[in-house]
Amino acid sequence: MDFSLSDEQREIRDWVRTFVRREIMPLEPEVLRRERRGEPGLTHEEHRELRQKAKQAGFWGVLTPQEYGGMGLPAVMAALIEAELGRSFVPFRFGGYADNILFHANEEQKQRYLLPTIAGERISCFAITEPGAGSDAKNIRTSARKDGADWVINGEKTFITGGNEADFAMVFAVTDKDKGAAGGVTCFLVDRDMGWKSEPIDTMGEWGPASLIFDNVRVPEENVLGEVGRGFQLAMQWIGQGRYLLPARALGACERLVEMAIEQSKTRVTFGEPIANRQAIQWMIADSAVEIEALRWLVLHAAWQVDQGMDSRQAQSMAKLYGGVKANEIVDRVLQIHGGMGYTRELPVERWYRELRLLRIYEGTDEIQRRTIARNLIKGHASVRGVLG
Amino acid sequence: MNIVVLVKQVPDTWSERKLTDADHTLDREAADAVLDEINERAVEEALRIKEAQGGEVTVVSMGPDRATDAIRKALSMGADKAVHVSDEALHGSDAVQTARVLAKAIGTVEGYDLILAGNEATDGRAGAVPAMIAELLGLPQLTQARKVSFDGSTVTVERETEEGLTTVQASLPAVVSVTEKINEPRYPSFKGIMAAKKKPVNTVTVADLGIDAGEVGLAGALTTVLEAAPKPPRTAGERVEDDGTGGTKIAEYLVGQKLI
Ligand SMILES: Cc1cc2nc3c(=O)[nH]c(=O)nc-3n(C[C@H](O)[C@H](O)[C@H](O)COP(=O)(O)OP(=O)(O)OC[C@H]3O[C@@H](n4cnc5c(N)ncnc54)[C@H](O)[C@@H]3O)c2cc1C
Repeated sequence: MDFSLSDEQREIRDWVRTFVRREIMPLEPEVLRRERRGEPGLTHEEHRELRQKAKQAGFWGVLTPQEYGGMGLPAVMAALIEAELGRSFVPFRFGGYADNILFHANEEQKQRYLLPTIAGERISCFAITEPGAGSDAKNIRTSARKDGADWVINGEKTFITGGNEADFAMVFAVTDKDKGAAGGVTCFLVDRDMGWKSEPIDTMGEWGPASLIFDNVRVPEENVLGEVGRGFQLAMQWIGQGRYLLPARALGACERLVEMAIEQSKTRVTFGEPIANRQAIQWMIADSAVEIEALRWLVLHAAWQVDQGMDSRQAQSMAKLYGGVKANEIVDRVLQIHGGMGYTRELPVERWYRELRLLRIYEGTDEIQRRTIARNLIKGHASVRGVLG
Repeated sequence: MNIVVLVKQVPDTWSERKLTDADHTLDREAADAVLDEINERAVEEALRIKEAQGGEVTVVSMGPDRATDAIRKALSMGADKAVHVSDEALHGSDAVQTARVLAKAIGTVEGYDLILAGNEATDGRAGAVPAMIAELLGLPQLTQARKVSFDGSTVTVERETEEGLTTVQASLPAVVSVTEKINEPRYPSFKGIMAAKKKPVNTVTVADLGIDAGEVGLAGALTTVLEAAPKPPRTAGERVEDDGTGGTKIAEYLVGQKLI
């Protein structure tokens, strides 16, 4: 059993680490200031410049296959990269990727949707959640009715990440009510200029999702993604594409936060001694470090299973659940160690506190992950002995 | 133009740097090791010269096994090949011994026109090795370069020191050491990282270079560190009350520190 990185993995990881330090972290104070004023953290110009620098070096499309101009890296490498990026709260990711389900598009759709999305010329969003259907995604009501050569979509989607900026949406709608999720849901590629509207939703985080309104939006038949009636499978595939990446990012954030807490505890003196000398503080640091270590290996193990072509769903759910729960406990302790300063908007701790909270909700809540994990065990699809048997 | 670039792996300036208690040498376990930033600039300069004039870039490094990371970084940036002097006997070598070993290692590179180095490493900060190498090889030395240009077999350097700016010239081959101002180093490209694996690295011992192991290392060093103490914690600093003369006082202070 070898837990070390290969030379190549370390070099790519270190490249990202250097990039984050030299290009991203210096922007942090300004990002905080802008966000305090209610402005976007990064300007378009800064975003473009960062992406340009990364692209020039070929750090583009981490998971995108090489035949589409990406790096085509394995999941383990993608997780390591995501963790490095997670060390900064600056909202940046390398560009050059597209939603996995767009790779199922036909040739003509690939030209119109997949390639421009990879190139960053078009922005996609994934729309399944509705006001009446979140965890219970099978319960969606948005409908698509055939009318001549077109489909007519009616309904409302909510909490759609990127929905304010997107110029097309992958929309999941009921095409056969009787069949429901089992053959009655279809995925459509719907351009904004076909008539849907978006409405921003204010959240406790720094980036807001949108609700999307479909009022008799006409979509031509050629915009069906995959097959009519096979939409729900695509949705599940989309959600499964990189569940390990969410806790990977949180892992990086936790590392940085605990480093900040250690630094703070060494310099903050109360009753004549640094608080680092107090057992109460030490235990918080120790527990956090153990949990970070556990999270690291849950994430990398889930990614490794993806690379091995194994059924990684159990491992991914575990990593996502543990990441969500522990990242929130850790950021809370780090805030506590910082005392009043931790509660202010001078430091990024409270920002992470708000941002990490989302991890317990989207792409399957904690409760839904637990439900999946338990069901897999009860039905015998997975064992508490893990992959070693 | 064929260029040799001297590179060194140093403890990351971002991590805590320490000396070992036993022999006051660098505690290499205590900090992450990286290619010295000043060397990244030297490699960058070599690559720019190569891109303009053609030729080959060879990196030469002396350091323990794990210095291969720094060498690979230079190769990922675009250098063509490397010579790595790695030998237990080198532990604790001082600047003079290092210069001797590097001069021999440079000798294994055929037909070089230029030797580039950083003006001083961020760890030892002796800033003497490039000049010593020039002396040992009988070559002209142009140190503290913030700009380098060529005209036939003449190299011209803008040399910047605390005393000011001087323009110096020499005929090639020559040793040039560069300062922070020379350029902004590129990031290695993803392709470069993948290609670096296939580039030749010639690993040699001191015996391979015809040096007796007794001449190098802590025991044979000409200089000895008798004592080492950590930097004292930052003090509160000097407080200037602004009674209208604040600006002048700050300016006087900066002049006193030779900062302006
Ligand atoms: C910022 C943000 C971005 C998002 N981005 C997208 C996006 O891009 N696209 C998209 O389609 N959706 C997106 N979502 C939606 C997200 O996936 C849902 O919010 C999530 O699935 C939960 O659904 P819900 O909000 O309706 O909660 P509900 O399903 O109503 O759940 C409420 C509570 O009940 C619990 N619960 C529900 N069912 C059970 C059960 N069977 N057993 C036990 N407990 C249960 C839940 O865990 C939760 O605690 C986003 C959400 C947010 C907040």
